[in-house]
Amino acid sequence: MKPYPIRPGRLVAKAILALAGFLAVFPLAWTALNALKNNVDIITRVPKVIFTPTLANIGYILGRDSVLTGLYNSVVACGVAVLIGVVLGLPAAYAVARYPNRFAGDIQFFVLSLRFLPPVAVAIPLMVIWLQVGLYDTLPALIVTYSLLTISVIMWLAIPAFQGVPKEIEEAAFVDGYGAYAVFWRIALPVAARSLIGAIAFSFVLVWNEFLIALMLSSSNAKTLPIVASELSQQGMNVPWGILNASVVLLSLPPLLFLGVLSGFLNSVFRQKKS
Amino acid sequence: MRRRSSLPVTFLVPTLAILLVLSMVPTLYAIVIALQNRELSTTGYSWVWFSNFADLFLDRRFLNAVWVSVKWEIVTVVATMVVAIGLGVLMFEVAGPRLRNFYCLLFIIPVLLPRVSAAFVWKFAYHPLYGIATYPYRLITGGLIFDPLSKPGTALFAVASVDVWQWGLFFAVIVLKLLETLPPQPIEAARLDHARRWQIHAYVTLPMLKAPLISLMFVKMIESLRSFDLIYVMTRGGPGVATETLDMYAFSQGFIESGKVSYASAMAVLMMIATVITFTMLWKRVQA
Repeated sequence: MKPYPIRPGRLVAKAILALAGFLAVFPLAWTALNALKNNVDIITRVPKVIFTPTLANIGYILGRDSVLTGLYNSVVACGVAVLIGVVLGLPAAYAVARYPNRFAGDIQFFVLSLRFLPPVAVAIPLMVIWLQVGLYDTLPALIVTYSLLTISVIMWLAIPAFQGVPKEIEEAAFVDGYGAYAVFWRIALPVAARSLIGAIAFSFVLVWNEFLIALMLSSSNAKTLPIVASELSQQGMNVPWGILNASVVLLSLPPLLFLGVLSGFLNSVFRQKKS
Repeated sequence: MRRRSSLPVTFLVPTLAILLVLSMVPTLYAIVIALQNRELSTTGYSWVWFSNFADLFLDRRFLNAVWVSVKWEIVTVVATMVVAIGLGVLMFEVAGPRLRNFYCLLFIIPVLLPRVSAAFVWKFAYHPLYGIATYPYRLITGGLIFDPLSKPGTALFAVASVDVWQWGLFFAVIVLKLLETLPPQPIEAARLDHARRWQIHAYVTLPMLKAPLISLMFVKMIESLRSFDLIYVMTRGGPGVATETLDMYAFSQGFIESGKVSYASAMAVLMMIATVITFTMLWKRVQA
C-alpha cells in the first residue's frame, strides 16, 4: 500500500480548472494585445506573441469624432439613467423592504417581470413614439428608456440589501426620536451602502452594455459606444483589425473597473444568506 | 415602535407610477402598431387588425426563427448550467480559499463585458485564417480551414459558446458560493459512509441546493432571451437563416430589409405574450 496515494482525479480536476481560468481571460487579453499590433502582425497564420508594439490603433480610436461622441453619449445616457434609478429606485425599495403591505409580493413580481419584456417589444413601439414626438435619436429619449431598466434593477437588488439591515438599529433610532425619513437617510442608507453600491454598479454595467435599444433609438446623434464599435466592423474585415480590437478594449474597460465592487457585492449577498 | 408614516406612500407611489407608465405605454403601443400596417418609409397607415399575425404563421422564415430561438434557449441554458455546476463543484473540491477567490475573480470577467465586446473578441478568435481559437486546428491539420461561424451546422453552437463563456463561468462562481453556504454535517456523514466525492454531490449537496439552482436556471432563461447583440455582431442571423432568432428577424423585418414596423411589432407582441406567460407560470412555481 502506498503511503501517499497519488490521486489522478484531483490532478485532472485542477487541470480543468486551470484551463477554464485560462479560457476566461485569454481571449480578452489576446484582444488587448492585438490592439497594440500593426496589421501585419495580426494577419498571420501563426499567432505572433513577439512584435513591435504600436499605439497607433489606440491613438486612431481616441482621435475619431464618432468614437468620442459615442463615449460622451454612453457616459451621459448611462450616468443620468443610473442617477434616476438611484433617486427613484432606492426609496421605493426601502419602502417595500421595511413597510410590508399586502401588495409587496405583487410589486416585487411586477418589477421583476419588466425583465421578461423582450427588448425588441419595447424598442419598436418606443421608436415610433419618439419619432412622433420628435425626440427620436436624442439623448433624452435614450435616458427615459434606460431609466425603466435602471429603476427596476436597482429596486430589485436593493430590496434584499435593505432587508439585510438589522431591524434593531432602526428601532433604536425610532426610540431616539428619529422620524421615518431620518431613519432612512441616516441609518438605513449608510448601513446598507456597500450592497447598494454593488446594485448601482450592476445597473450601470447593464445599461452600458445595452445594445439593441440604443441601436433602434439612434440614427446619428445619439449613438452610444457599443453602436459605434459595431459599426466600425460593418465595413467588413477591411478595417484594420488593430483598430477594431482597440475599440473593443475601450468599450470593455468601464465595466471591468467595477470588477472589485461587483465581486464584493456577490460575496456580501451570500454571506447574508449564510447567516 | 414604527409609527404610522407617510413614507411608504411618498417613496413608492411616484416610482411605481413612473415604472407603470414607462412599461405600459410601449407595451400597449406595440399591440396597437401590430394591428396596423405601418411602414418606415410612409407616414400613412390603416388598421388591418389581425392580418399581420395571420401572415406570420404562413411565413416560413418566422417559423424558422421560432425554432432557432427555441434551440438557442435550450442549448445555452443547458450548457450554462452544466458548465456552472461542473466548475463550481470542482472549485469546491480541489481549490483552497485563496485559489477560489482567484478563480472567482477570473470567472466574473467575461460576464461584465458588453456583449458586443464579447462577440467581437470571439469573432476574431473564430476567424478561419487568423483566429486564435482556430489556430490549434490549423496547427494539427497542417493548415486546413475550419470556419465555425459560416457553417449552418456549427454557427449556432459557435455563437452559443460565447454566451456560455460569459454566463457559465459566472454561474460557476454562484454555484461555489451556494455550496459554501451548506452546513458541513451532511457532507461529513456521507463521507463517513464511504460515499465517493461525486456521489456526495450528486445525492447530497446538489439536491440540497435544488431550489436556488432552479432559480438560477430561471435567471438564465430570461437572460438567454437577450441574444440579439451576440448574433447581430457575429453572424447577422447567417449563414442563411441558421442563427436567425426571433429578435434578429423582427429587427431585420422592421429595419434592415423592408421597414415593416407593424409586421415586426406583431412578432414582438407574440414574443412578449409567450415569455410573459411562460415566465409568470415558472416564477409562481419556483416561489411555491
